[in-house]
Amino acid sequence: MKTALTAAMLAALTLPAGATELRFASTTDPNTLDPNAGNSAPVFSLLGNVYEGLVRRGRDMSVEPALATAWAPIGDGEGWRFTLREGVTFHGGEAFTAEDVIFSYERASSEESDTSSWFASVDRMEADGDFAVNVYTNGPNPIFVDGIANWMMMDSGWAAANGAERPNIEQGNYATLNANGTGPYRITERQPGLKTTLEAFDGWWGEDRGNVTTATFTPVQNSATAVAALLSGELDLIEPVPVQDAARVETAEGVDVIRGIEARVIMLGFPHDKDTLLTGGGVNPFQDARVRQAVGHAINVPAILQTVMRGSAAPATQLVSDAMRGYTSGLERPAYDPDMARTLLAEAGYPDGFAFSLKCPNDRYLNDEAVCTAINAMLAQVGLSPAFETMPVANYWPTLREDDHDMYLLGWSPGTFDAEHPIRFLASTPNAEKKLGSWNFGGYSNARIDELLPMIQSEIDDTKRQAMLDEVATLLAEEAAYVPLYVQPLVWGVRDGVEVVQRPDNFLQIRWVEMAE
Amino acid sequence: MTDLPDTKATPAVPTAAARPSRLWTMWDSDLAYSFRRSPVAMVAALVTLLLVLAAVFAPLVATTNPFDPSSLNLMNGFTPPGEANAFTGEAFWLGTDDQGRDVYSTILYGLRISLFVGVMAVLFAMILGVLLGLIAGYVGGWTETIIMRVADVQLTFPSILVAMLIFGIARGVIPIEYRDQMAIWVLILAIGLSDWVQFARVVRGATLVERNKEYVQAAQLIGRSSTAIMLRHILPNVLSPVLVIATISLALAIIAEATLSFLGVGAPPTQPSLGTLIRIGQDFLFSGEWWILFFPACTLLALALSVNLLGDWLRDALNPKLD
Amino acid sequence: MLAYIIRRILQSVIVLLAVGLVAFSMFRFVGDPIEQLLGQERTVQDVERLREALGLNDPFIVQYATFLGRAVQGDFGISYRQSRPVAEIIAERAPATLELAAVSGLIAISLGIALGVYTAIRRRGWLANVVMSTSLIGVSLPTFLIGILLIYVFGVQLRWLPTFGRGEVVDLGWWTTGLLTESGLKSLILPSITLGLYQMTLIMRLVRSEMLEVLRQDYIRFARARGLSARAVNFRHALKNTLVPVITVTGLQLGAIIAFAIITETVFQWPGVGLLFINAVQFVDIPVMAAYLMLISVMFVLINLLVDILYVWVDPRLRIDGRTT
Repeated sequence: MKTALTAAMLAALTLPAGATELRFASTTDPNTLDPNAGNSAPVFSLLGNVYEGLVRRGRDMSVEPALATAWAPIGDGEGWRFTLREGVTFHGGEAFTAEDVIFSYERASSEESDTSSWFASVDRMEADGDFAVNVYTNGPNPIFVDGIANWMMMDSGWAAANGAERPNIEQGNYATLNANGTGPYRITERQPGLKTTLEAFDGWWGEDRGNVTTATFTPVQNSATAVAALLSGELDLIEPVPVQDAARVETAEGVDVIRGIEARVIMLGFPHDKDTLLTGGGVNPFQDARVRQAVGHAINVPAILQTVMRGSAAPATQLVSDAMRGYTSGLERPAYDPDMARTLLAEAGYPDGFAFSLKCPNDRYLNDEAVCTAINAMLAQVGLSPAFETMPVANYWPTLREDDHDMYLLGWSPGTFDAEHPIRFLASTPNAEKKLGSWNFGGYSNARIDELLPMIQSEIDDTKRQAMLDEVATLLAEEAAYVPLYVQPLVWGVRDGVEVVQRPDNFLQIRWVEMAE
Repeated sequence: MTDLPDTKATPAVPTAAARPSRLWTMWDSDLAYSFRRSPVAMVAALVTLLLVLAAVFAPLVATTNPFDPSSLNLMNGFTPPGEANAFTGEAFWLGTDDQGRDVYSTILYGLRISLFVGVMAVLFAMILGVLLGLIAGYVGGWTETIIMRVADVQLTFPSILVAMLIFGIARGVIPIEYRDQMAIWVLILAIGLSDWVQFARVVRGATLVERNKEYVQAAQLIGRSSTAIMLRHILPNVLSPVLVIATISLALAIIAEATLSFLGVGAPPTQPSLGTLIRIGQDFLFSGEWWILFFPACTLLALALSVNLLGDWLRDALNPKLD
Repeated sequence: MLAYIIRRILQSVIVLLAVGLVAFSMFRFVGDPIEQLLGQERTVQDVERLREALGLNDPFIVQYATFLGRAVQGDFGISYRQSRPVAEIIAERAPATLELAAVSGLIAISLGIALGVYTAIRRRGWLANVVMSTSLIGVSLPTFLIGILLIYVFGVQLRWLPTFGRGEVVDLGWWTTGLLTESGLKSLILPSITLGLYQMTLIMRLVRSEMLEVLRQDYIRFARARGLSARAVNFRHALKNTLVPVITVTGLQLGAIIAFAIITETVFQWPGVGLLFINAVQFVDIPVMAAYLMLISVMFVLINLLVDILYVWVDPRLRIDGRTT
């Protein structure tokens, strides 16, 4: 990681070398090139090379200037003023101005857009001349800037000329298959599901760019196939390498592995708001905090990490990883202690355990099925009787949404890289109108947390904000609202001579890739 | 041919039991003779028998019960065959899988599930296909048209989609505590449903030819009912191809179960079939834990190969015109 | 005969309609497409709007009627996953599958007939028996495992052949072909063997048993008795008479090859319609699934129709049935 960083930094100082091609593969093809028609990591990872936002994230995930050179709060929490970069051109040749920012705001926050939630706190946005934009928020919003790193600037003229003023998720439009950003790479060929070719954009304003002149992206769903292609020299970079193959790739000649920790925390959820479990029985034992704590003690996370995850992942103590802003230090995860688990169950009145349903996806997270199979065994070992079921994610989410679950596995990666994000989606009492708790399938509800959330969202003072985040994290841990298990690892495979930077959001920035001749 | 007592009919052909048929005579003499003369068939039969016995008596021959989650120790995971585990010091004859399950025991229990799914799926397909084929071929008319066009519809659907459909419906209908067992029955139904068509087609074809023969016309003349003619006269005469198809289908069904498992709709990971074991094992092909894939794959190969060889021999042996 | 054909075509149309009905009634069991269309930050309002826009709130029978109404005009709708016309996507992917199927079919037929004839003529020969027995290994392992093993041996260990994809393709405007480039041809080898192995074994066994049967017939015995050379007997008389059932079965297998291609395409990441379908199932891309199933059923129905007509034509005994039933 460190060498990759230095190499890339050195590369930034040297002049671009001759033509080099990067052939990379990942499991999922972005479903669109429209930055407002898809809100998922594959889309933003690829488009992050093509489009740019007002701000972007650096190698260490910190927010840094991109198309805005500076920003400052307006008044006392009224909003933010962005000063725009001058002399930036789109791939199509048009200049980037405040008008494009306003257009991009209207587009990204429109009803048809999948990214409108980023602008929930925005009242209006106004251009101030060609190179300044004022964003007025409904109330103080200290983390607004953190939430817009994936808000990509589009050319208003280009969109209008091609009839793509609004995203169209269901029908598609010109922007689905074509892109016109300001970024370091432009898309020269797009065959959805098969191949996407990018070429270095000569007119890019920035300098921090490696020597890749052409990049070809191929989606390869089966990770083992991708590993085979990497080993046989058909690919230069693959993501992910299955954790079990990492050692093999590491020792194989001509290829190497780059490891990191992703932003995604894997956890177990409980049915808090149900009167009775799917398995019947008339009561819901999971409403007793001791039962949930017992589950925490029953699961041998170190053993899961050691065997199933091959030592690649790190244990999680809360809903976010320590790389996120607002992480609460000092929390400890429940120790593996089956006796303690049995004692807690007995105290709660279930010395002989009880039956419940345990559901897991089998194609969503790294080794999700194997992790759940292990969890199933561990729960059985403290006397519980899980009815264990795995299914593809296409069925999994509808099942959770229809409340057809008791205990379930969930992974969460905060889009804002801030601890507030999972509180909003996972810990708030579900409320469709206020757009809160939309992934809180178990219906967990805590009045104090509901009260703290708006205060966290508008607190400008970092210390006070952190104190409130710590309070929430401690409450969640004490009540065992969820049982956080581990932070999902990032394992990339590269051919020797390919230097890359691996960010916890799992985005590949081609401009940070340096390839040996 | 008609003077043999009914009771001596072969159990493998229950419908022929009512009236001794040509098939019975063959079974009695030619088939047994041919079996004795074919070393390949004898070896295949022996291997099949051994595997079936191992599956039936799995709880007795296995060292652990891999389906009992409370007996597993995850730290035993990935123990190579015959070596002691680095953490727990335990050793396993064929090693352990990713969950710390003894591969030898898992194979025995997996064999049980694979064989059960295979046999039941083929039985289901055979009964359905033979009945529909007989009716289609003998009755003809609209009945035939409908049956054969339904068969066309069936052929159109990849078995994976059939499996997913049945899984989806079953998930909505069956209470959660029965779903573990449900998965097996869903597999049986899905594989059986995608397999009945070939039985129906072959039986229909054969029936079309048979029903114009004199013996059928004779039976019609003396006023026997259609059901009786179909089951007692035509069926025994079209059974040889059915038997051959059934044998080969058994191998195919076992493999189909493995394929469905590869596509993510197979037996649950807590009750792995041979196919599930192979699907899990192939994740470890590159990482060096070869035994997790190798031993289950060899078992599947041994099972499918010997069943196929038996089917092969049966095909030759039951074809009376060949010798 | 003509009436028979017309009736069969009418029946086939009904079959197609039934396939569509069954397909549409089952899509909701595959999953909810909305879940993977919208990101994690979506709101209930977004979900409702999209559900309405995609017509997912309609009963499946209405969805089916809408689909049919468009399909008869050649419009298969717009893929949820790719937001572009399904017809376009399928036209783009079809050449890959058809080339793969054609090459594996060719391998299966040529090798299958050659080995079938050989094993029939040398029925008691040891080589023939070895061929017969080893060919069974090919059908005793799941296709995906054979594919993975081939990749492991020839792609990863020996590095002779590519492990995935189609290699370089030449775009002819209406067709893309991998047959004109070296990497394209190399990429075809492993998947077509994987796909063709099963059919090859099947054809080989069929040719063998048909040959054995024909070789026993009186006219062959007479031919032998007349002193015709073994070659003439085997090929001019026996093989020729074997071919009719072989052709019909092979025809039926053609459909199976394309259906089986789903697995092979998944393992080798072959960019054909089978892989497209598997992805569509994964993402609950209903328009793509519907169009794929309709195409496959049209193909199966056509093949069945041809085979049935061929049967009637070849076997005069059945011709009466054609008229009376």
